[in-house]
Amino acid sequence: MPDLLELTGVSASYGRIQALSGVSLSVPEGSIVALLGSNGAGKTTTLNAISRLVPVQSGNIRFDGKPIESMASHRVVEGGVVQVPEGREVFRDMSVRENLEMGAYRRKDPKSVRADFERILDYFPKLRERLQQRAGTLSGGEQQMLLIGRALMARPRLLLLDEPSLGLSPVLVQQIFGFIDRLNKDGLTILLVEQNAAVALSTSSYAYILENGELALQGASKELRHDDSVRRTYLGH
Amino acid sequence: MTIDVVFLFLQQGVASGLVIGSVYALIALAIVVIFKTSEVPNFSQGEMVMAAGYIALYLLVFRSMPLWIVMPATILAAYAGAALFRRLVLNQVARANGSPVNLVIATLGLSYVLRGFVRQTGFGDTPRSFPPVIEPQSIMIGQAAVTTLDLVILTTAVLVMAAFFWMFKYTKIGRAMRAVGMNPKAAQLVGVDLTRIHMIVWGLSGGISAIAALLISPKVLMTADMGSIVTMGFAAAIVGGFTSLPGAVVGGFLIGIIENFVGLFISSRAIVLAPFVAIMLVLVIRPQGLFGGRVEIKKV
Repeated sequence: MPDLLELTGVSASYGRIQALSGVSLSVPEGSIVALLGSNGAGKTTTLNAISRLVPVQSGNIRFDGKPIESMASHRVVEGGVVQVPEGREVFRDMSVRENLEMGAYRRKDPKSVRADFERILDYFPKLRERLQQRAGTLSGGEQQMLLIGRALMARPRLLLLDEPSLGLSPVLVQQIFGFIDRLNKDGLTILLVEQNAAVALSTSSYAYILENGELALQGASKELRHDDSVRRTYLGH
Repeated sequence: MTIDVVFLFLQQGVASGLVIGSVYALIALAIVVIFKTSEVPNFSQGEMVMAAGYIALYLLVFRSMPLWIVMPATILAAYAGAALFRRLVLNQVARANGSPVNLVIATLGLSYVLRGFVRQTGFGDTPRSFPPVIEPQSIMIGQAAVTTLDLVILTTAVLVMAAFFWMFKYTKIGRAMRAVGMNPKAAQLVGVDLTRIHMIVWGLSGGISAIAALLISPKVLMTADMGSIVTMGFAAAIVGGFTSLPGAVVGGFLIGIIENFVGLFISSRAIVLAPFVAIMLVLVIRPQGLFGGRVEIKKV
């Protein structure tokens, strides 16, 4: 499979703090690739550099063969690279319906937007029950579903998922990851950032490990699961 | 004071208060819409009103243009000026240093520039009066005396506010503005172009300021310092909660009525104190304002 996303030597910083230095990675079309590492290793910065929320100092980011490292963030979304941010970044005072509709902000095909809206509510029946409810009043798991639903409303070709398991109960984590698997089987390419290495390695086909803003290790997820240093540092056994 | 006089004053105070309050409400709305979407209190709002007033005066008196051209031209000029200020100056300031204080200082800078410019052109050296746009006739509502101009002011202001609220609630661009106000990062992640939304918000704020100027100018003497009317707008915004658009409107009417009550029941010399007393009362009794939401703690 050709690479849908390709980073070569990407460096980025917040003010004087160097957050990423020379990160290279690629995400083949149709795959799930995991990006692991401890807190502050640069995982979220990598996603934000791809989403163009953080300026790229050097290096290249290519999506579908085209350079995107100096594009505006809304153009990247238009091109089909959509991020599901970490935490509870919903539009709190809007209804669930409005949140989902905001996801389709850049689309100009109202008919298929409506069809996608129905399809996403079929995926997440919980959200259908709460369409008129204020998003800020949803539970953590429901907000995570809403965030994924909102991203899907943009019709992504590449989904950037930031810590989807954060703060969720084991049952919900299983549910969310089951759903991620299903999206991938339906053809969606996914770059997954996770602290929960065990679940990320069992979902993905290939994984990169970041340490202090640099790539420390990479390999097929199956092999990394049995790698001694990975087991000690990230799997805790 | 007999009971009859009290009744008369109450009626007159409410009537005059609603009229002038509708202009304060417009100015408060212009302040709050910017604050909500960029968390910058715009200290040049008053000067935007003043400058728009002088643009209208110049076109109407010195260029002898008809009113139906002057009004849209003034509103458009204010829209474009404010949007360009956001794009050319504030964007640059924000990029150079993320601190919001610098943005506030930039708006203060704009207020001096506008005042200086009006003085420099010579229009602002003497108080001028805006020609009456309609023949003022007195009308009695109950026992309160108002003029036809007053009714035009109140009606126009209410219509403008209604249109604004409709836009904010039901249009795609209005929804994008709300999204930016709630969570700018999430707005960017769904593909909202922040630069564009900020420009439109500033433009709308400038346009509303221009409408306020067109409404108030026939009633006051115009000077380069007439922007101080913004004090009433800020008072209205604070009373309303500063992040609430409906609060800004209610606050505007309240300040207008309070100001008239103070003038009628206490002394016309105490009027200047009225907004500050209102601000302090609100800050002490209900710091979040009448319509301000719960205080939220933000994760940094």
